[in-house]
This record gives sequence, structure tokens and C-alpha cells, in this order.
Amino acid sequence: MESSLMAENGEDKLLAVARHIAKTLGRTDTMTDDILQIFSTFDGRFSREKMSEKIDENDPRSFAALELTLKSLDRQISQYVSADQPIWSNSVDSAAFLNTLDELISTIKDWDPISGEKLIGSCLDRADDLLQQAMFRLEDEFRLLIERSGGGGGESFELNRMSGADSDEEEENDGDEDSIPVANPISDYDILIDALPSGTIADLHQISKRMVGAGFGKECAHVYSSCRRDFLEESISRLGLKKLSIEEVQKMAWSDLEDEIEKWIKGMNVALRILFPSERRLCDRIFFGLSAASDLSFMEVCRGIAIQLLNFADGVAISSRSPERLFKVLDVFECLRDLMPEFDDVFSDQYCLFIRTEAAAIWKRISESIRGIFMELENLIRRDPAKAAVPGGGLHPITRYVMNYLRAACGSRVTLEQVFQDNSDYRNPDNTERSLNSTSLSVQMSWIMELLESNLEGKSKIYKDSALSYIFLINNGRYIVQKVKDSELASLLGDDWIRKHTAKVRQNHVNYQRNSWNKVITALKLDNNSLPQNVAAKSIKEKLKVFNTHFDDICRTQSNCVVADEQLRTELRNWITGNLSPAYRNFLGRFQTVPELGKHADKYIKYSVEDIEHRINDLFQGNGGSVGGRK
Amino acid sequence: MPATDYQGSSVPFGALGRSIMSIRRDQVHNMEGNHDSSVQEAELELFQKQVTERFQSLVSCNEELLSLPWIRHLLDEFICCQEEFRAILFNNKSHLSRPPMDRFIGEYFERSVKSLDVCNAIRDGIELIRQWEKYLEIVLTALDSNQRTLGEGQFRRAKKALTDLTIAMLDEKDSTAVIGHRNRSFGRNTTNKDSRPHGHFRSLSWSVSRSWSAAKQLQAISNNLTPPRGNEVMATNGLAVAVFTMSSILLFVMWTLVAAIPCQDRGLQMHFSIPRNFSWGASIMSLHDRIMEESKKRDRRNASGLMKEIHQIEKCARHMTELADSVQFPLTEEKEADVKQRVKELAEVCETMKDGLDGLDPLERRVREVFHRILRNRTEGLDSLSRPNHPE
Repeated sequence: MESSLMAENGEDKLLAVARHIAKTLGRTDTMTDDILQIFSTFDGRFSREKMSEKIDENDPRSFAALELTLKSLDRQISQYVSADQPIWSNSVDSAAFLNTLDELISTIKDWDPISGEKLIGSCLDRADDLLQQAMFRLEDEFRLLIERSGGGGGESFELNRMSGADSDEEEENDGDEDSIPVANPISDYDILIDALPSGTIADLHQISKRMVGAGFGKECAHVYSSCRRDFLEESISRLGLKKLSIEEVQKMAWSDLEDEIEKWIKGMNVALRILFPSERRLCDRIFFGLSAASDLSFMEVCRGIAIQLLNFADGVAISSRSPERLFKVLDVFECLRDLMPEFDDVFSDQYCLFIRTEAAAIWKRISESIRGIFMELENLIRRDPAKAAVPGGGLHPITRYVMNYLRAACGSRVTLEQVFQDNSDYRNPDNTERSLNSTSLSVQMSWIMELLESNLEGKSKIYKDSALSYIFLINNGRYIVQKVKDSELASLLGDDWIRKHTAKVRQNHVNYQRNSWNKVITALKLDNNSLPQNVAAKSIKEKLKVFNTHFDDICRTQSNCVVADEQLRTELRNWITGNLSPAYRNFLGRFQTVPELGKHADKYIKYSVEDIEHRINDLFQGNGGSVGGRK
Repeated sequence: MPATDYQGSSVPFGALGRSIMSIRRDQVHNMEGNHDSSVQEAELELFQKQVTERFQSLVSCNEELLSLPWIRHLLDEFICCQEEFRAILFNNKSHLSRPPMDRFIGEYFERSVKSLDVCNAIRDGIELIRQWEKYLEIVLTALDSNQRTLGEGQFRRAKKALTDLTIAMLDEKDSTAVIGHRNRSFGRNTTNKDSRPHGHFRSLSWSVSRSWSAAKQLQAISNNLTPPRGNEVMATNGLAVAVFTMSSILLFVMWTLVAAIPCQDRGLQMHFSIPRNFSWGASIMSLHDRIMEESKKRDRRNASGLMKEIHQIEKCARHMTELADSVQFPLTEEKEADVKQRVKELAEVCETMKDGLDGLDPLERRVREVFHRILRNRTEGLDSLSRPNHPE
């Protein structure tokens, strides 16, 4: 009803204006009449009766009506504009102010088409001036509303509400960056925060609607984004995130960087899952129906923080590739991967497109950096010097390191598969055999195993005693196979790999036996009995001597031989005693039957069967000290 | 494997990329071993020649020194040099890990990491200019010639935007000094209750900490940058010359960006000299000298950036402010014509910055491109350094 009244009122004004024009321009009655004629054919509202009826008496009054309206608006608006108290501190005031403002805007709109008329024009200039002042005031009210309710001013701060912790802590010293308390970690990201109360949001929307409508959208968006940006910046620094340059990240001590990465991951989750979506929602509500202003403001709010967060990942991506960094860098990769949908979602409009593109590019760089870390691991293996072989042929630290490293890495198997997926084998693209039926990750893993084995083979060659070489290979080979078998590596490397390597270990076993024990056992082989007795006695005596020498040799050289694996140690000993003891017992039996030897057996027989077994049982413990003659 | 071209590339590098690829294919057979020494020599000579030509073109081009189109031109030439250098590294992989080349290349990569931060700071700086542009747009809207009249209200609006612009342009230097000018429509009686500059005056958030300094960063890039000695050139088959060339270009380009565009703690004092025997040295030194000269001009000494368009913004804003301060209402016809003229100038500056080819957006993309190329070059370099040529 009100609006129809207003429309009627508007029409009256229009007619008054038209009459005024006709009268002013028409210096003679005929001219005025002509002008009125033109008007009447132009629009039905300007019909001759309507125009002529009150033309003389109403003209000044109608113009006066505009003047009167403006005067009244001026009085009301000026009163508000100069008020010291915020208009929005009182809802009656704010509603009245908005009503007055709307009236002003519609008056300007109504009279604008005929503003060419001088008197009206100057009236409208005053109206414009008034509008300008009102808009300035609106801008300030808008800012104040945001600041008062926990926005950019920084006096009060609401992030704690979402952390569900230390919410009482309101007071703090502004401006002192060090004193910004760190928000407690949160585990539930499935929340949005209402940084502003809904009443305030509604008020802000009322203001933004007027400002955008009156052509002050830029000012409004600017105030909005600078306030919210401050809020967001503070929220991020509350999470303990510092602004770090790429160089700073690169030079940071690893332990510090680890801490930073952890904070960053939390910060990313809070930012992408809570802060940015909350900002988006707030922006959409305040600029409801004004999507261009909303999108632009949102971008301005988030841009700096988004770039700051991504810059850190860039710094991580190009920092050192030393292998121990793998696990934290994998965390960064996973964080970005998991947040990609959030990036796509929250930064979906055209203004924010670049943030999405950046995030995807940086994610890719992190993946490159992980591949670089594996390359570093390869170098580390390849360059591990051969002379660094361990004494006693025991388990080499590099074997232990690499195997445990890979096992741990396999804890992130799915992630690593993604990392290596889109990347063809960069080392030897012509090797087609390997890439058949296997994922890039398993190619990578078997390649590292190959490097490790060839490094170990190099190391095995520096033992002077070949038996030690074999022990070394057995020890390390067996460790490798065991570590593979009971981990994800088994499925990555495959059954064939395990079979092949188990066989390899067994082969080394055989080689070891052949190499060190065969000649001892051979020494005990008895000739057939057809020899003359004295010759036979001499031969047996000789054999025993050879046996003793060989056995002592082996025991001496292998005295510090280490077999760390209990089971393997037992296996080896059992094999040796199982082959050696019967042969030796048999030999001793024969020895006793030779008359001239049997009498002086003690003189020739250095070891009893038990002694032999005892000494064998002393082997592979790495305690070279316990070697000694008979006990 | 060389990485594929950066997808966001807006530069027609396809042709160059292809030629590099074909060079690679040709070299693929001997890349493991000795890159044919005469081929290599020719390649290095060609690089010197190309760099010389590129920088000569920057000296003698039509674009005005330090204008947006000129900076774009500079970055294009940089990207080309970078690609040529990358091809050289690729073709001489086997030499890179041998001393003293490993040291030279390592130093180059360190400089390039430092330059990444400069690129990021410049990106912030471009965003800052965009914020200034927004104030100019408000002025344009306020004083639009399609307005019915130019009344007091419009001028008040324009003046407010101009004041905000002035404050924003001083922002990084001293924002509190000008706070008194701020045009607040209420609360005047209760001023000084809150002297802290409001968010309103913080034009944007910098992505680096407050202590970061462009001047120090440039200093760090330039540290120990000296031409290789004769024996070093010999020992590296001349590659050290290419590395020195690229390092100098990198330094010069970063220095120019810092000179042109606002960023934290700009400082142009830097020892920079190129011996005469480098054919490209003269052009770079001449550009360097001209930029230094520019920075010493009285009206540019305190500028937040030497970019021509920033100068124009300052000039336009100043003229407009003077004009706005002097007008009386109603406007005389003469004044109105003045205003129209100033508005036209302002509109032109805004147009320049919005330009699809030479505006701020393409510049930012170009700076990003430089960032990505530097990064990729480094990654590839590190890969080939750490990967032995003959796996055992």
C-alpha cells in the first residue's frame, strides 16, 4: 500500500515537472501549448486534461514539494550523518536512517529524467551531495559493525570459539606479535564459524545493498575485505604460523622445519576447512544477491593468506632432499592432496581461479620433491663406500637403514604410489622388462633393492677371506629377505623377487660351505685299506695334521665372524657339526685302529669330537677373543 | 626427462621449446659422454650472442624504460635467456658435477633460490598497485563525465579516495604520519582514542615477514658474483662463462623488478659491474645506469617504485587533488574542462594497467612464469647433478 502511495506521489511530481518545463520553455501561450501537445503524444500520463487542469496553480507548489521533500530529508539525514554515536547502536535509528536514505534515492531516481531543468537540477545536486554524505556515513557504520563484532579491529577475537578451548582468554596485548597465544589444536574440522552475529550480518547486508545500489560498491567491498583480511591474518598467526620466505624455509634447521610443517598442516586444515569456507559464507550473506561484489571481496580477503600458506609448501618443495625428510614431506603431500577438493570448492569463482591453479602446481612440485628424495636415497646407497664394510661379515648399517627406511616408507604406500604414478621411470626408460605388470612404485622399490645389493656385493669383495664374504652376503641377504617378507614390500616386490632372493641366500650358503668347510671334510676322507700299514699310518697322521691346520685356520679367520640372526647361526652350526662331526668321529675311529698311532693317540689328536663341536658352537658370535686351543 | 612446459605459459615459447627438444634429440647419443667440443663451443658462443642481442633490444626498443610494456619485454627476454641456458646445462650434463663446475652451478642455483623470494615480493607489489588502481577507479566513478553534474558530493567522494590513495602509497613507509588526514565522518570529538592505523589503511597482506628486505636479498644474490678466471674458464670448457652470464642476468632482472615495483625495503645501491669483454655487458650497464639515474631524479627519489605507470598514478593523483582542492561550486566551464581533462588522464592510466597485453595481470603472470622457470631449471639441474652418468 505504501509503495502505491509513493508511486502516486511520484506521478504527481512528474506531472508537476512536466508542467513546469512547458511553462518555462513556452514564452508564449502557443508555444506552451505546442510543448504540452508533444508531451501528451509522448506518454499517456501527460494527457491534455491532466496537464492543463492544474497547470497554473500547481506548478510552483509541486516544485516546492520537491524542495520540501529534500529539505525534510536533508534535515533527517544530516542529523544522522553528524551524530557522534553510531547509528547502528540503535535499531530504531538505523531503520529510520535506511528509510530516509531509500526515500532520498527514490526521489533522485524519480526526478533524474528531468534534471535538465535548471531549478530541478540544482535541487538534485543538493540531493546528490546529501547522498554522498550518507554513503560516507554508511561506509563508516559498515566498518564499525564489522569491527565491533570481532572483525578487523583486533580488540576482540573469536577464533577461540571454534577451537573449543581457552575461550575465556579475551585480553591480550595488541601489536605485540610474540604475545599472540596459539590456539589449541582442534580435531573436528567439520564446522563453520560465525565470525559475526546474524543480526550484524543482516545489518551489513542492508548497508551493502544500499551502497552497491548507489554506485558505492567499490568502497563497500574495500572496507569489507580490509577488515576481514585482518581477522583472517590474526586467525592464522594464532595458529602459530609465521610468514616465512622460501629462503628462510630452505635454511631452517630440519627439526625446526618439522615443527613448522606440523603447524602448517594444522593451519592448512583450519584455513581450508573452516576459515575460508566461513569467510565465503559470510561474504555471500553480506553481499547476498550481489555476486560480483561478493566474489571480488572474498578473493581480496583470502588471497594474501592463501598465498602465504602455499609459499611455505613451495619452500618445503625446494628444500633439501635428504632421505630423512621423506616422511614429513609425505605429510605435506597428503595434506595438499586431501585439501584439493576444498581448494576447488571454496575457490571456485573466476577471481580465485589462480589460487586453485597455484595449489595444484605446488602439490605437483611436492610430488617431484619426494621423487627427488628417493633419488637422494639412491645416491646415498650408491655412494656408500665399499671400504666401510663391517668386520666379521655381519649386518651392515646401510642394509639395516635402507630396509627399515623402505618398510617405514611403505606405511605410506598408497601415497607413494600416487607420487610415482604419473611419472614414468626416469632412470632407464628403455628397460621394459621391469615395468611390465608392476606399478611405478614397485619399479622404484626393486630398483633401490638392486642398488643396495650391488653396493653390498662391492662391499663383500673387500674381505680377504672369501668365507667372510659369503657370511657377509648371507647375513645381509637374509636380513633383506626377512624385512621384505613381513612388510608391504613383499607385495610390492612380488613372490618371484622373494623366491629369487631366498635362493640367492641359499646359494651363498652353499658357497660358504664349499669354500671353507669342504677342504676340512675332504682332509678326513680315508683312503682304501689296501695300503701297507706303515704307509697308511703315515697318511692318516698326515691327514690329521692337515685337518688340524685347516680347522684351526678356519676357526681363527672366522673367529670374529658374526651371524646376528639366531636361527641362521644355529642352522649354520648344525650344518657344520652335522657334516663334520660324523666324519671326524669316523676318522678318529680309524685312527685308533692303526696300532702305532693308537698308542700315542693323545700326542696326535688335538681335538676330541666334543672339542670340535664346542669350537663350532663358538663360531659366529663375533667374539674373536674366546678362540683358543683345547680347553 | 625434461619437464613439460609450464601450462600457464602465455608466452609463445612453443617454437623455442621445440628447438630445444630437437637439440636434445640430436644430442641424445653423446649426452652421456663428451659433448662434441666444437659443438659445445659454438653453443656457448651462440648463447653470448643471443644474450647480447636480447639486451640490446631492451636498450633500443620503442617501449619506454621502466614502463609496463618494457618490464614485460625484459621478463620475456629473461625467460628466453633462461631457456637457452637450460638447454646448455642439459647438453653438458656430464660436465656439471665436475669441479670447479659443480661449485659454479651450485652457486647459481643458490642465487636462483634467493630470486624466488624476490619474485614473490614483486607479486605482492603488483597486488599493491592493483589496490591503488581501485582508489583511482573510485575517483573515476565519482567524477564520471556521464554524471548529471559535478557537484560537491562527487568531489568529496573523489577527494576521499585520493586521500586513501595517498595514504596507501605511503603505507609501507609511514602510515601514521598521514592518519590525521583521514576523512572520518563521525567520532571527530573522540579522536585519538585509537591512534592505531585501522585495517582500512593496511592495503594488503604481504606474504613475507616484516623483516624481509628486498635490498638485502639483492645483496645476497650479488655476493661473490665475479667473472670466472681464465683457468676456471678452461677447466669448465667455457661453461663458467655461461653461468656467470646467467647469474648476472638474474641479478640485473631482479634488481630492475625491485627498482620498478613496490616491495618491502627497496634499496638499489648495489655494486654492479660487468667487465667489457662480455659483449652483453655494455647494454646491461647502460640500462643499469639509466635506471639509477631515474631513481635519483628529484620527483622519483621517494617513489615506491620507478615503474612509469606508478609515476603517472602519483602525478595524476596529485593534479587531481590540487584541482579538487581548488574548485568552487558551481564549477566554471573552464574548471569543468580541466576536470574532464584530468579524468581523461586518469582513465588512461587505469586503462594501461588493465591492458590485456601489457597490464598488471599479464605482468603478474609473467613474474609467476619467471618463478616457475627458475624453479624448474634448478630442479632439473639438481636432478642431473645428483644422478650419475654411469649407474653402476
